[in-house]
Amino acid sequence: MTLGLTLTANMAASFKELPRRIVQIRNRSARFGPRNPLGNSTFRTEVSAYRCCSGAAAGRSTHFGFESVPEGEKAERVYKVFESVAQKYDVMNDAMSLGIHRLWKDSLLRLMNPQPGLKLLDTAGGTGDISFRFLEYTRSVREGQLRHRARANQTPSWQEIAAGYGSEGEEPAESRAVVCDINKEMLKVGKERAETAGITTGLSWVVGDAEELPFNDDQFDVYTIAFGIRNVTHIEQALQEALRVLKPGGRFMCLEFSKVSNPLLSRLYDAYSFQMIPVLGEVIAGDWKSYQYLVESIRRFPDQETFKEMIEEAGFFRVQYVNLTGGVVAIHSGFKL
Amino acid sequence: MAALIRSLRAVRSLRGLGSAVVATTCPASLYGGLRRGFHRAALLASDSKSDQTVPPPSHHEHYQAQEPRQGSSTFSTEQASASDPGTQHEDPWPNTSYQDQSGEQAEDYETEDQLQARILTAALEFVPQHGWTVEAIAAGAETLGLSAASAGMFDNGAGDLVLHFVGQCNVQLTEILAEEHNQVQLGQAEKKKTADFLRHAVETRLRMLVPYIDTWPQAMSLLLLPHNIPESLKHLSTLVDDIWYYAGDRSTDMSWYTRRAALTGIYNTTELVMVQDSSPDFEETWVFLDNRIRDVVNMANTAKQVQATGEAVVQGLMGAAVTLKNITGVNQRR
Repeated sequence: MTLGLTLTANMAASFKELPRRIVQIRNRSARFGPRNPLGNSTFRTEVSAYRCCSGAAAGRSTHFGFESVPEGEKAERVYKVFESVAQKYDVMNDAMSLGIHRLWKDSLLRLMNPQPGLKLLDTAGGTGDISFRFLEYTRSVREGQLRHRARANQTPSWQEIAAGYGSEGEEPAESRAVVCDINKEMLKVGKERAETAGITTGLSWVVGDAEELPFNDDQFDVYTIAFGIRNVTHIEQALQEALRVLKPGGRFMCLEFSKVSNPLLSRLYDAYSFQMIPVLGEVIAGDWKSYQYLVESIRRFPDQETFKEMIEEAGFFRVQYVNLTGGVVAIHSGFKL
Repeated sequence: MAALIRSLRAVRSLRGLGSAVVATTCPASLYGGLRRGFHRAALLASDSKSDQTVPPPSHHEHYQAQEPRQGSSTFSTEQASASDPGTQHEDPWPNTSYQDQSGEQAEDYETEDQLQARILTAALEFVPQHGWTVEAIAAGAETLGLSAASAGMFDNGAGDLVLHFVGQCNVQLTEILAEEHNQVQLGQAEKKKTADFLRHAVETRLRMLVPYIDTWPQAMSLLLLPHNIPESLKHLSTLVDDIWYYAGDRSTDMSWYTRRAALTGIYNTTELVMVQDSSPDFEETWVFLDNRIRDVVNMANTAKQVQATGEAVVQGLMGAAVTLKNITGVNQRR
């Protein structure tokens, strides 16, 4: 009896919110877009969508691992998860993936094949793995180019010497990486790692939300998000922000856990994920729940094809993906053309 | 800044709303392609109407100016009239061919390929400096206003650049030969003999390599990589076929194969000679070419002579045998 009453009370509350939201949408469309002659039917479908999505909770809800939480809460809870794992993040990565995550990140860089002089935005970069690799890669390519140039100039002809008088030889440019993360703890750990590794120039650390990046348009050559996009509440918004901050011709790359196609491997992987990983989390980092969230959030992330379509929706071209380790991890890549 | 971002997000959610509308009204089979098409339609619509939207990157506008056919194909479907009355573009060439399921937008397929071709053509001018490498492609992309990261579009890297160049040269050669053919048909020029025509065609084609001759060995080695061999063989065979076609070869027997094999041999060997030739204007190469063509022609003549001689010899032997039979009386016929 009381259960029925509480349910109706909740539903009444959610109904009251809906008309307000419809009015908001109407106002927005009047200001921004073309008049939709389908008019009322649009909003009816939207209303029915809201009804089935919100259910008993007030407002939209989303998934947090296998739980369902209101959208506003998800960001906060993810923040808390990473705040607590920040110190042991790298150690846990090595333990859980048996060190293979290094190979995955190396594959991402090899696929990117960056030339010297590019600007990288490493979103959800946290402890800076991708940025360090990026800087190392471009620096070694740059040294190779300089060496090649020096060798070519060993015995210059008098014409080359005369031609070289005016221009002071264009050297290949320096590349720069910006690590952006919503979580200050992760950035702190990253900065300490940078200091120990001795990387001082070409690296910046910025606090920012992937759904609302604190950068101007057309800033970066490459945007990467490694193992971060499944933690974002609104993935489409993150993709659109990526499109915004990339220069024309810029590349979007996403390294993320994905669906394993092989059924045998899938069963082994599931067993390992749900039995071993939270245990490792408890033993090494003293945090069972965060690693439970980790493996659950992997299962909730869309599969390779669905994610590829989402990236195309956002406006990227030539979207491709590569499976690593049999589909455990996938690298998606798209271009802003 | 934050207010701008929020208003942009509002516009984008509206676009998402627009595509959600389409989602509920489209038949499932066309869902994917049309949905993307309408997303672009909404993009064009909102861009043309409101000033508060993010201006598309200059490159998009460049396309919209250049390619009138893209972005408008889906307007021709019946769904378009229902959802977007405000922006009907004139569309002289409705491009409704959908490409394979790899997910490329139908109306942008040509543009993407054309864009790649443009990047590679722009990259050619950096080849003398950087060689046939991904750096040249990156430099070429930068001259077009794109970021150097777009060189990652080419899975085959430098191989793509070389194959594009070879294809381009073959197309140019075909155009030149077609033009000359027209002139001969109109009576404005003399018809060349086969040997002269072959020499002229091969020389024209090889002269296109002259600006890149220093780095051409690198290009040849790229063409010989196993994953590039099918493509490079295809280019070579179309080249040889085109030259023989304009030389007037309409044969349908074994000579079709022997002629093309001979010309392939001539072309490849002359290319190798050219790469290490240091004489002024590659004179030695053209002398070598002359000699090879003469050899082939001689060989053809010799082959005919050998056949005729062989027939005559066989007839002579038959006659001698009959005479011998008559003399010895073995021959029964009297």
